[in-house]
Amino acid sequence: MDAVSLNYVLAIGAVLFVCGVICMTTKRNGIGILMGVELVLNGANLNFVAFSRYTSLGLDGQVVSLFVIVLAAAEAAVALAIALNFYNNHLTIDVDRGDELHG
Amino acid sequence: MNVEQLLFALFALLTCAGAISVVICQNVVRMAFSLIVCLASVSALFFLLSADFVGATQLMVYVGGTVVLLIFGVMLTSSSTLLQIRTSPAEGFLAAGIGVLFLAVFSFTAWSVDWDANSDRIARVTAVDVPPQGYNEASSGNTVRPLAMAFVGLRPDKGGNAAGYLLPFEIISVHLLVVLIGAAYLARTKRRVSADTQNK
Amino acid sequence: MDSLGSELSKYLLLAWLLPLIGFAVEVLGGYWGNRQDKRAAYLAIACIGAGFLLSSFTFYRWGTETHWQAFAGSVSESGHASVADPSGSDGHEKPDAAHHPHKAAGTETTHGTPGHSETAGAHDDAAHHSPGPSYSGTFYTLATFGSLTLSIDYYIDSLTILMFCMVTLIATCIHIFAVGYMSDELTDEYVDHSAHTSDGHHVHRPGRFHRFFAFLSLFCFSMLGIVLAGNIFQVFVFWELVGISSFLLIGFYTERKSANVAANKAFIVNRVGDFGFIIGLMILWTYCGTFSFGDQDLNGHEQPGLFSMIRGSDGEITTVGDDVILKTVGHNGHWEAPHEGESNRTLPYFLLVIAGLGVFGGCVGKSAQFPLQTWLPDAMEGPTPVSALVHSATMVAAGVYLAARFYPVFTTEVLLTIAYIGCITLFIAATIAVVATDIKRVLAYSTISQLGYMMLAIGLGGWAAGLFHLITHAFFKSLMFLCSGSVIHGCHHEQEMTKMGGLRHKMPITAYTMLIGVIAISGLAIPGSAALIGFPIAFSGFHSKDAIVATALAYTSLNPIHFLLFLTPLVTAGITAFYMFRLWFYTFTGKPRDEHIYSHCHESPAVMCMPLVVLALFAAGCAFGGENGPLYHMIGNSEPLGVASGVEAGGAAGVALPSHHAIHEVHGTAGVVALLAAGLGTIVAFLLYCRPVVDPESIKRQFSGVHGFLVEKWQFDNLYDVAFVRPSHIVGRWCATFDKEVLDGILHSTARTAIWIGTIDRKFDETIVDGLVNVVGNVTRSVGMSLTVFQTGRIRQYVMFIAISVVALFALLFAFMPKA
Repeated sequence: MDAVSLNYVLAIGAVLFVCGVICMTTKRNGIGILMGVELVLNGANLNFVAFSRYTSLGLDGQVVSLFVIVLAAAEAAVALAIALNFYNNHLTIDVDRGDELHG
Repeated sequence: MNVEQLLFALFALLTCAGAISVVICQNVVRMAFSLIVCLASVSALFFLLSADFVGATQLMVYVGGTVVLLIFGVMLTSSSTLLQIRTSPAEGFLAAGIGVLFLAVFSFTAWSVDWDANSDRIARVTAVDVPPQGYNEASSGNTVRPLAMAFVGLRPDKGGNAAGYLLPFEIISVHLLVVLIGAAYLARTKRRVSADTQNK
Repeated sequence: MDSLGSELSKYLLLAWLLPLIGFAVEVLGGYWGNRQDKRAAYLAIACIGAGFLLSSFTFYRWGTETHWQAFAGSVSESGHASVADPSGSDGHEKPDAAHHPHKAAGTETTHGTPGHSETAGAHDDAAHHSPGPSYSGTFYTLATFGSLTLSIDYYIDSLTILMFCMVTLIATCIHIFAVGYMSDELTDEYVDHSAHTSDGHHVHRPGRFHRFFAFLSLFCFSMLGIVLAGNIFQVFVFWELVGISSFLLIGFYTERKSANVAANKAFIVNRVGDFGFIIGLMILWTYCGTFSFGDQDLNGHEQPGLFSMIRGSDGEITTVGDDVILKTVGHNGHWEAPHEGESNRTLPYFLLVIAGLGVFGGCVGKSAQFPLQTWLPDAMEGPTPVSALVHSATMVAAGVYLAARFYPVFTTEVLLTIAYIGCITLFIAATIAVVATDIKRVLAYSTISQLGYMMLAIGLGGWAAGLFHLITHAFFKSLMFLCSGSVIHGCHHEQEMTKMGGLRHKMPITAYTMLIGVIAISGLAIPGSAALIGFPIAFSGFHSKDAIVATALAYTSLNPIHFLLFLTPLVTAGITAFYMFRLWFYTFTGKPRDEHIYSHCHESPAVMCMPLVVLALFAAGCAFGGENGPLYHMIGNSEPLGVASGVEAGGAAGVALPSHHAIHEVHGTAGVVALLAAGLGTIVAFLLYCRPVVDPESIKRQFSGVHGFLVEKWQFDNLYDVAFVRPSHIVGRWCATFDKEVLDGILHSTARTAIWIGTIDRKFDETIVDGLVNVVGNVTRSVGMSLTVFQTGRIRQYVMFIAISVVALFALLFAFMPKA
């Protein structure tokens, strides 16, 4: 019925998600980690929209994806503010330097 | 292979390339550019999935807002020497391994589900009425009006009694306000702590 | 006339409370003054003196309000003096008596007591005596527990007023005397020659002038409280207060061991009597439900007092079987037993006897009667003014006063007991007094003897005679004690008569006032004067003792089996005269036996002599007129109902009490016999000690056994020592040993066991409980410490952990989830 199978879209979402996770684990730059988070969220969003399109979930998937976008924007703003503070306190954006909470 | 499939393949490739590029690049600015490419491609995929409003929002909020914000962050926090902070190759390999495993898990999960049967089951449960004139299915594009109706609590697409999103919408709006104020408070200029006390 | 009772009660209340105020001020403020000033004494004298003035004023008010009917009426009514037709004179008296108390009875405070005037008016019985009204009421209710009401009541009749006047007058004299006598104490450095410190020196201490007067004030307050008290519980409270006051005063020289012992003895011996008192109190309250003497007006409905309940308005104890019916029906002072079929309250007769004996037991203790007489001679350890007060007006008088007050409660058996106790006491004490050489001890034994006379009189039904003697004795005994105090003061605290002699040249006032007292107590009169001029020329003691002997004679003629009750007092009257004159001759006549003391002695200052003169006047003249005089009539005015008519033989004891008429018939005979005995005693004393025709020493040698026995006070102290003191010491030692060995042993072994268990417990705690807790804590800590490895603080690692965990979870899920 459709031009593209749902599974391919989910695969793209999975690629985005995995890339985000790898980004979070490998980037020492705080901004990089934020970018990883955005990728993860986008992967999830893609899944929501895909389900909205391919299943009888209907508009709800799109609504949720809109919420995710908004929350991601808010999160980005707060996270950047935290990153700025981190930078102010440590004179670097290297998250490996912020290990004061180690056990 | 029709045009839609072609476009999907193109944007899927762009998306994956952008994402992988974000992972691989060590320069923050390049990472940001790759992210723009990736997110823009995702918005294109949204359009292809006939989620026109979500795609437009994705384009405006992410590509036009969030990424700009990220670049501002890069500029505010980076001096030239610190633009590249390298990780050890071992960590990279480990992360790659984990990533591959993750991907395998997800793919296996996606392909092991019979989506059509599932969709029928969900349809039985939710019992969609015949939508009134002038309102489109989620699968048929032009979703601005139904989305707006859903946000103010009306669900003509699913019958009058289906759940709307007025309360989450309000909460999200208040949440945004709080977040903006909080972010502004956190990011305000403070007295710089002297470098030597922090680098001990 | 409106509420005369409440008016009188207010005067007497004030007179009663003034010494308390004095006491409070002296005790609280005494230490602020210096020890040289006499303000405490002046305050005490002012209080008690004002009390006397108030009492006198009360007496005056009472007399005028009753138109002196007590004197005028009783003279004709009792009809003893003019041997006129009793019924005729009674008829003359009756309207008077019926008239006046009727007005008094109309007021709220005047309640009828047994034998009230309405009663007399209602019962047209010539034989009935008609006492004056009594006034009872409540000053202040302390507490109410159910049916038990504790309150400060008053019960005022002529006896109360008379006692108030007597006590306050004598106390005032003694207070004034004490200013001179206690002047030694006006110093910061008093040297007590009779007390020694452990290193053999005399005790030096600050003077206690103000303290002495504080205690005197407390003493007077307590005594007046007894006299004024309107219920038996209040009497008991002040009874104990008198006890504690006497304890404080007898033990005034606390540094002297003998004074301490004497104070303790007085207090403990009194406890024995008070034990009986409490038993009597409990019986009476249990069955009668009230403590009050007089009738009470409780919330509008009248309730009979103790006397009314037991005697009713006809003065008889009504019995049914073995029970005494309590008279609870009636009103306005007229109480009768319930009629047939009505619910009546009864009191077993034997319990009434026990109650009477119990209350009398208290009197025995206070008035130093046989067998509790031993404390009183030892009480001489106190300063002489205290002895005077204790032995005349206050403490010992309290016992007699209570016995008289409680007369309506006493059955004939109890009265017989009282009579014999008094009889034994008066003889024993008199014989001991014969051989005593300490001037104060002679007087002390004479006091016991005279108290025996009073108790005897009350026991014989000579109610008024006993109280008559109480009043006269109070005057001449306080006089003699103060005289002896004057002698002791003049001789620098020498009390042995054997070292005195011829002192009348040195201290004439003391000597001759003392002589008046001696004549008074001996009961001497001029023979034939009665026949010549219509009344006997005699001092007070003659009249009162005469009345007692007459009562005894009448009693014996009614009950011949109890002839000893007449012979003993008669003989003792002679002995009394003998030892009193012996004392006087020993002290004031003859040649000085100790030149040193004689040369240094001196007449006392005016402040001490003035009270002597005042008391001498009263000792000589207070009983003026004898049984026709105002004093006797005043006492007779309060006489309980049924005394005057006598009692027929009956009851378990089978004794009859003589009526006034019977007593009067033998009065002349008794007077002559008593005078003969007294004269004989006087002559013997004169021959032995003033113009020695026989050497007393040779008599002493010949009767050395008897003499020793008497010197040892009939061995009472030794007997009590063996019978009670030593056994209680032994029992005490047993108890102490038991305590030390057994109880302490049990306690100690318990404690040791507890310690042992505690030690084990501690070990268990420290090793096992603490060990377990420590192991848990240590394991937790070590696990936590080992887990800190993962808490790297590196955000990227955390993400890695999450990713690995998710993959691992998936792997587990696929590996173990059953395939659908």
